[in-house]
Amino acid sequence: MEQLVPEKAKISPFLVFFLVHTMQFGIGVLGYQRIIAMTAGYDAWISVILAGLSIHIIVWMMYKILETTEGDIITAQSFVFGNKIGKLLSVPFVIYFLLIADTILRTYIEVIQVWMFQDMSTFWYSLAFCVLAIYIIFGGFRTVTGVAFFGVVLPAYLLFSFFFTIPYADIKNLQPIFDHSIKDLVMASYQMSLTYLGYEILLFFYPYIKDPQKSKKWAHLGVLFTTFLYTSLTLLTFAYFSEGQLQKSIWATLTMWKIVEMPFVERFEYIGIANWNIVILPNFCIALWCASRILKRVTKIKQKHGVILTSLIVLITINLFKSRVQINTLIDYTGKIAFYINYGYIPLLFFLVLIVKKVKKK
Amino acid sequence: MGWFSKKHEQQVDRESLEQYLKRSKDYKKVSYTNQPTNNRFTFSFISTLIDESILQNNALPYLLEKPFEKIEDLKKLVAMTDVQISDDPSVIEQKLFNGYALLTLESDQKHFAFLAVQKEIVRSVTTPEVEFSVIGPKEAFVESIDQNVNLIRKRLPVKELISEELTIGSLSKTKVSILYLDGIVDPENVKTVIERLKNIDFDAITDSSYIVQLICDNKNSPFPQLLDSERPDRVTAILAEGKIAIFVDGSPHALITPTTLVEFFGSFEDYFLNWMLSSFFRLIRLFAVAFSILITPVYVATLSYHYELIPKDLMNTLVTSRREIPLPPILEALFLELTIELLREAGARLPTKVGQTIGIVGGIVIGTASVEAGLTSNVLLIIVALAALASFTTPVYKMGNAIRLLRFPFLFFAELWGLLGIVFCFCLLMTHLLRLTSLNRPFLEPIYPPRVTDLKDSLIRLPFSKQSMRPQTLRTQNPVRFSPPGKKSKKSDIDE
Amino acid sequence: MIKNVFVILMVFTVLIGCVQKEILDDVNLESGSAYDYVGGKIKGTALVPIYLPNKEVQNKTFSASSNLSRDFLRDVQRQSSDPLVTGSLKVVLFGESLAKENGILDLIDSFQRDPSIGAGLYLATAKGEAKDILEGQYGKRGNAIYLSNLIRHNMKNKDIPKTNLHRFLFDFNQLGKTPYLPELRKISKDQIEISGISFFRYGHVVDTIPASKMFYFKLLVDKYSRGTLKVTHKKERAAIESIRSKYKMQLSTKKPFTVNVKLKVNAILNEYSGKRVTPKDIKEIEKILQKNIEKECTLLTNRFQKKNIDPVGYGHFVKSKTRKFNFEKWKTDYPHLKVNIKANVMITESGVIE
Repeated sequence: MEQLVPEKAKISPFLVFFLVHTMQFGIGVLGYQRIIAMTAGYDAWISVILAGLSIHIIVWMMYKILETTEGDIITAQSFVFGNKIGKLLSVPFVIYFLLIADTILRTYIEVIQVWMFQDMSTFWYSLAFCVLAIYIIFGGFRTVTGVAFFGVVLPAYLLFSFFFTIPYADIKNLQPIFDHSIKDLVMASYQMSLTYLGYEILLFFYPYIKDPQKSKKWAHLGVLFTTFLYTSLTLLTFAYFSEGQLQKSIWATLTMWKIVEMPFVERFEYIGIANWNIVILPNFCIALWCASRILKRVTKIKQKHGVILTSLIVLITINLFKSRVQINTLIDYTGKIAFYINYGYIPLLFFLVLIVKKVKKK
Repeated sequence: MGWFSKKHEQQVDRESLEQYLKRSKDYKKVSYTNQPTNNRFTFSFISTLIDESILQNNALPYLLEKPFEKIEDLKKLVAMTDVQISDDPSVIEQKLFNGYALLTLESDQKHFAFLAVQKEIVRSVTTPEVEFSVIGPKEAFVESIDQNVNLIRKRLPVKELISEELTIGSLSKTKVSILYLDGIVDPENVKTVIERLKNIDFDAITDSSYIVQLICDNKNSPFPQLLDSERPDRVTAILAEGKIAIFVDGSPHALITPTTLVEFFGSFEDYFLNWMLSSFFRLIRLFAVAFSILITPVYVATLSYHYELIPKDLMNTLVTSRREIPLPPILEALFLELTIELLREAGARLPTKVGQTIGIVGGIVIGTASVEAGLTSNVLLIIVALAALASFTTPVYKMGNAIRLLRFPFLFFAELWGLLGIVFCFCLLMTHLLRLTSLNRPFLEPIYPPRVTDLKDSLIRLPFSKQSMRPQTLRTQNPVRFSPPGKKSKKSDIDE
Repeated sequence: MIKNVFVILMVFTVLIGCVQKEILDDVNLESGSAYDYVGGKIKGTALVPIYLPNKEVQNKTFSASSNLSRDFLRDVQRQSSDPLVTGSLKVVLFGESLAKENGILDLIDSFQRDPSIGAGLYLATAKGEAKDILEGQYGKRGNAIYLSNLIRHNMKNKDIPKTNLHRFLFDFNQLGKTPYLPELRKISKDQIEISGISFFRYGHVVDTIPASKMFYFKLLVDKYSRGTLKVTHKKERAAIESIRSKYKMQLSTKKPFTVNVKLKVNAILNEYSGKRVTPKDIKEIEKILQKNIEKECTLLTNRFQKKNIDPVGYGHFVKSKTRKFNFEKWKTDYPHLKVNIKANVMITESGVIE
């Protein structure tokens, strides 16, 4: 039953860093600040750290599950619930990853439609994007990882653009620290955790890691790096915007780019948005890859066909979301489902695996 | 010569072969009589392929005057090293066309001898033209494979340098040598190369470029996947790294495999300069490539879609230069790009002196005239000329061509979606490069998969003392090039 | 097979997925705009540079009236040969009557909403009619560039406190702070000057200070201010240029709220009408300056309190030092806020002569 991954297709353990980080750092970066600031005001950066740290526990649990069952999540589920049910339980994950793919792509297209091209066609751009993604996934998991790697390394220069906001930063915005109740902070942590999501892909590509033991450190480092980036960006945003101003900015990160002015470029946000294409490309590809991979594991559909099938579904469903309200509903639901999977199902599976392991030993 | 027989299994009738050969006027058959024994013997050869003076000076006098009975005696008789005796008629055709003279005795019809009397027409070793360098060795490969292997052997006088030979091409019977350093190279690679070469099914191979296209991993890629070089010093250095060189008879370019993208941007001159200078030049080249590919598409994207990006001080220049131009930016850019390509193509096809004139006529006359006529803007003219200039900085000619081609898809995407299109096209290119392999090794190495230690000689070049290890990606049998200078036990202070 | 399908799909996308173009020379770039309040309607004026072959720039203006702030652009399109686009807007002026009577909130909202407008846009109020200013002829590079350079260099090196669209929005949306903008005045057809600073409350100008007081205000709001001051010392006049200033606020007591402001100015002596300056003179000049600064800044603060505006952001500052700060209560507290200003001036150099 176990599908062995050929040695040739495996990736070095430290590339897990890029996979985990890129999946967490995607379209959410463009506008998460407003949402957390609504709940916990300008203390929300504490929630960013809290939510980031909580992920390490989940990652630790995931590694425990995977190490015990030596496979991906489908192996783990089969281990706990038996073969049939284990596979059946994996089917919702296909839908989950399709939702993620839809969310990523639709949100990005919305950004393009609002900021760059009002008349950009959702369908045609998604089609081009899907073709690109299929081309990548056909190259195998190593190519997907490669795109993840470049998706982190190449746009890294964008981080420097945020230094332009420092002259406008007002630290007084952040003071006094801890001016909100613990309840607010926890609530904001919950909202922030939705932005952080994506690390659960670890459960699916684990068999592709060459030396899984060594990858642990890199996965945690990846999460830590994400937390660091989000925290710094949150602090910068809070110092840059006054609270009332941030409430009006749906895409705070993009709005921050508006102030960047260089001798050769008058306005930076257009470059930033275009470059964000590289950032979200690996996210979309990994989501599609995971969906098609589960399909293959569960139904024996060739992954080649699985990819085309899943991207067709994405292509059709993405046209259903037309207005901002609909897109927001999509984002909300995806976030909620992801939250329950990560903070509900994974700990549950973790304990079940531990129990079943004990039972089987006896 | 076992390779050869597999394609010509059928026993050739000697008589019909001779009948066939007689159709060519340069087929000669001469008979003589040995004076002491009165034994008649006959020489058959293709006169255009052999050097008759060798036959007359080194073979005939002995054969006419010294007595001999059996064909085996010949070997002792003639003053030649390459004398082969055979009884297999099927090899006759091949030997004759390789420049051997066929010697038959009337007394012994079954056996016959081949004397090597090839006429060698070899161009003398000249200076490299494509990979010219100001400093460093000035020798370049020529069209003779023996001469070329000789140039390498002289530089690597060790027994570990193995030279395997194959014959490829159903018509051209081209001799191909595979050179590698045993004990360093990954045997898996050698096996793959030989297998791929053996699998080539092609009639006439006249240059190494044929081989490149026939054995590369992805035939639908504009990028060359085997590095070609005309510099023996470069090939030597790369052999020592643990790669494989392929020489093709009749081609002054050796092929090197496996290779990586960054290698195409390193000139061999980089190794003759201080590491800081060479790193700087490599970065300049990399920048030039990015510039060459992207600048015209960025111009098109900005002017068609993103006027917001243009600095206000530049706005005046751009608007005034484009005011009277009837073409939209994309057509304007295509017009100029194609003009430059035309000039390049015309210059390349014409003799050197005329070619230069074309360059001047094109550059100055057409350029200024089209600006004055209001067909193109002078800003774009500068941009396109700079981009063309930048594309010539790639040290490997074939890569330069690939880069010039890349500009066009970028232009189309820039026209389609502006900056977003450029980034999208970049993603396509990135994916293509990620999927590309050279001899099943990732083409983008050491950038991806990232190997930090291999970065020492890629985008930058660190000093030689840091280059003590061979590239990881080659999986060499002996990864140590030399033992790095040990750290001094005590750190020395000023004036000590 | 699959590959071919992909290639065909890509080609299709390329052919069909096109988006609306805005080719640089086929659009009219609105580089500046002015808004006035005329007859109960907002009259908008768009400034479009016309680039002449000799690289000079001609200023062309389009005007239209409408009820909705930015709506005038749609009317103006009917007068323009090419589509009018807003992406390279550099400077926006608000007429006196508009800023005082109607307020500029709706306009600001539309600037914020339009993604093609940069955050570095300069805003200013006009003394008199704003349209009038745009219709002048300043410099050869176009009015918009002239105006934006004028404002920029004065903010960077001279007495004008830094403002732009982002800072305005920042202050406007900040509790315990009110925004301010420079005020422009047209002197003649080709001359213009910054005449003062206007202070806003809820989008309306409620107060304006003259140019002579701008430096003191800049000292209070900008982290690093450069600017010039004139003082009279023993009947001699001296010009002093601040090269570096720092301010530090301290909340000394909470009941009642008392804020200590420490200003530190490093300056050089530029001009002195007397025969020579001795170190003693310099010390005295420093003293006079300190007194001037303390006096003027206190006067300014009192003036703000009386007008119930807070451009310095005392409220914001007090909030940052107080837990569970109540802005409702602050509204009544603010007029009674005590501000102690302490200045420390150091003249470091007095030029190349003694």
